[in-house]
Amino acid sequence: MYEKLFTLLGHEVITPPRPSQKTVDYGVKYSPEFACFPLKVILGTYLEALEMGADTIVTSGGNGPCRAGYYGEAQKKILKNMGYDVEFIIFDEPKKDIKTFMDNVKKIKGKNSWGKVLKVAKIVYDMAKSMDKVEKIVEVKRAYECNRGEFTRAWHEIMEEYRKIESSEDVRRVEKEAIERLNSIKVCEVPEEEKIRIGIVGEIYVVMGPSINGNIEEVLNTYGAEVERSHYISEWIDFNLIPLPSYKEKEHQILKKGEKYIEIIIGGHAKQSVGAIIDFMDRGFDGVIHLKPFGCLPELITESAINKIIREYEFPILTLSIDEQMAIANTLTRIEAFLDVIRLKKRKKRIVR
Amino acid sequence: MKIGIPKALMYYFYYPFWKTLFESLGFEVVTSDDTSKSILDIGVKEAVAEICLPMKVYTGHVLNLLGKGVDYIYVSRFVSLRKGIFMCPKFMGLPDMIKGLFDRIEDKILTHHIVSKTLDISEFHNYTIFIEKFGIGKKDLKKALAKAREEWLKFRRLNKEGYDMNELLTNNKPQKYDGDITIGLLGYVYNVYDRFVNMDIFSVFRRLNIKVVTFDMMDEKVIYKNLRNFRKNMFWEFTNMLLGTAYEFMKRDDIDGIIHLTAFGCGPDSILEPFLTIDSEKNKKPFMTIRIDEQTGESHVIARVEAFTDLIRMKKYKAEEKAKGVV
Repeated sequence: MYEKLFTLLGHEVITPPRPSQKTVDYGVKYSPEFACFPLKVILGTYLEALEMGADTIVTSGGNGPCRAGYYGEAQKKILKNMGYDVEFIIFDEPKKDIKTFMDNVKKIKGKNSWGKVLKVAKIVYDMAKSMDKVEKIVEVKRAYECNRGEFTRAWHEIMEEYRKIESSEDVRRVEKEAIERLNSIKVCEVPEEEKIRIGIVGEIYVVMGPSINGNIEEVLNTYGAEVERSHYISEWIDFNLIPLPSYKEKEHQILKKGEKYIEIIIGGHAKQSVGAIIDFMDRGFDGVIHLKPFGCLPELITESAINKIIREYEFPILTLSIDEQMAIANTLTRIEAFLDVIRLKKRKKRIVR
Repeated sequence: MKIGIPKALMYYFYYPFWKTLFESLGFEVVTSDDTSKSILDIGVKEAVAEICLPMKVYTGHVLNLLGKGVDYIYVSRFVSLRKGIFMCPKFMGLPDMIKGLFDRIEDKILTHHIVSKTLDISEFHNYTIFIEKFGIGKKDLKKALAKAREEWLKFRRLNKEGYDMNELLTNNKPQKYDGDITIGLLGYVYNVYDRFVNMDIFSVFRRLNIKVVTFDMMDEKVIYKNLRNFRKNMFWEFTNMLLGTAYEFMKRDDIDGIIHLTAFGCGPDSILEPFLTIDSEKNKKPFMTIRIDEQTGESHVIARVEAFTDLIRMKKYKAEEKAKGVV
């Protein structure tokens, strides 16, 4: 997404490859041992980008109290110490330090006019919205595909199409084609009462990064479960970057639902996670998978609160910690067992009825 | 009415305040027992598996208090102790965590937000919940807060003069300890002063004739002055205090070495770490990290402190000889 923004603004963009084992190894090697997993992966990504010749790193700051808000500063320190001379552009909340923020914006803007900047931002926003819309279809339908792998292949190709976009018209065209393509894939429907729907909540970075969470959505889909996440990039933009109250309503509702278990926002997405669990439950989902990086500060409070939700509602929730030592087989077994329990529970209910 | 205060986390920093406050309001104050193997074990069993050591210890202390027949357990929610700066998310969600872990504990938890401009937490607006809950008059509450503040300031004054907190909290006639070398000990009060979890590291220092300086013995002004070099402060007040103290230690000639005492799973410390390791090397200050966890074997702590200080002594001795012109 950032890639598109900067390319359209005429910067040469080096997009690091999707996080791979190499990225993780790099990050782990140079990060503090007990730093959380996202920091390590991001540092690894930077190192790969630097190797490819990048000289400026653009990242967002944050206002805490989750560790993520201080990543930029810490990583700058580590990279400097390793001898990399690299410029960091860290975007913090404009209201705290308006001057630095504007300076940063100007650096990015370069020689472009403000009108162009706005236009580009609009294209990128439309693209985010549209990609999320298509991805949601994939996450539901892939659960019932007849020939395994067809949806994933289509989705990768669709993403390639999105990368080539240059205007809002392109977005609409690509979206239309994508939906047609997905609809043409053969699906083997199952009866309504046997459908399983799983919500994924947790820390935004591990929830949204398929290469980090071991492709959990695809895994769940192949086991025949529909999936919906608590985070989508366009919703994040709505809540965090667009200063209009009407765009924030959904998030506020989610927060309200979390209030009973976590009273105040304690950083990260802890309160949102709890709220999203309740939300999924209210919407009749069959279970929730809670993802968090190992040792994540806010999500550990969530986990304590989740214990209570499980006891109170007998609602199936599985917490998975993600870090550099995640063993795929172990995760698969746990997910499989979790889904079996849900299926069993559903069947029992049906028999009782 | 009996109010229980868990002997963990901010207990070491604020106990004189809380004790005076509740006693002036006419409550009986009960603390949990000192941390022990059984308290730690219960905490480890009940708390979420991945959470940091201090939170597990805290959970153990809460259960210990439940066994003492208290009416309330005081679990304050520390939100902020400086404008724009928060506390570790786990402090901010502490009551939620405790409520989430146990059923039927909700009515026993006495909690309120602490949002303060300074480390002094006596601001009246934080405590208004007591007025409704216990039918305490506004005036009485104000008076009690003023008295508690005075006690706490007295405690902090002595603390800054170089008495460690355990001496002040447990010893009627607190002592200062001296030594032939000085170590700057960086760590949060609940790790530094909990004798059980850190295997009584203070007694190790004393046996080796080492003087210890901690962040709570420093003047806040000095700490904040060092923090001004940062474009952006960290979000956690006590981590900032450690950071500021660390840079002060690096500058001071009378500090011979720095030890960072941290608990397994501490998130803020993992961000602090690169700053400490990189800059202490630049400033040529010996630096070591000791990480404590549920293990209770003390030999590794002793061995590492001994080795570290032996090296410092050797270095110091050589430097002195050189100054005398022997070498």
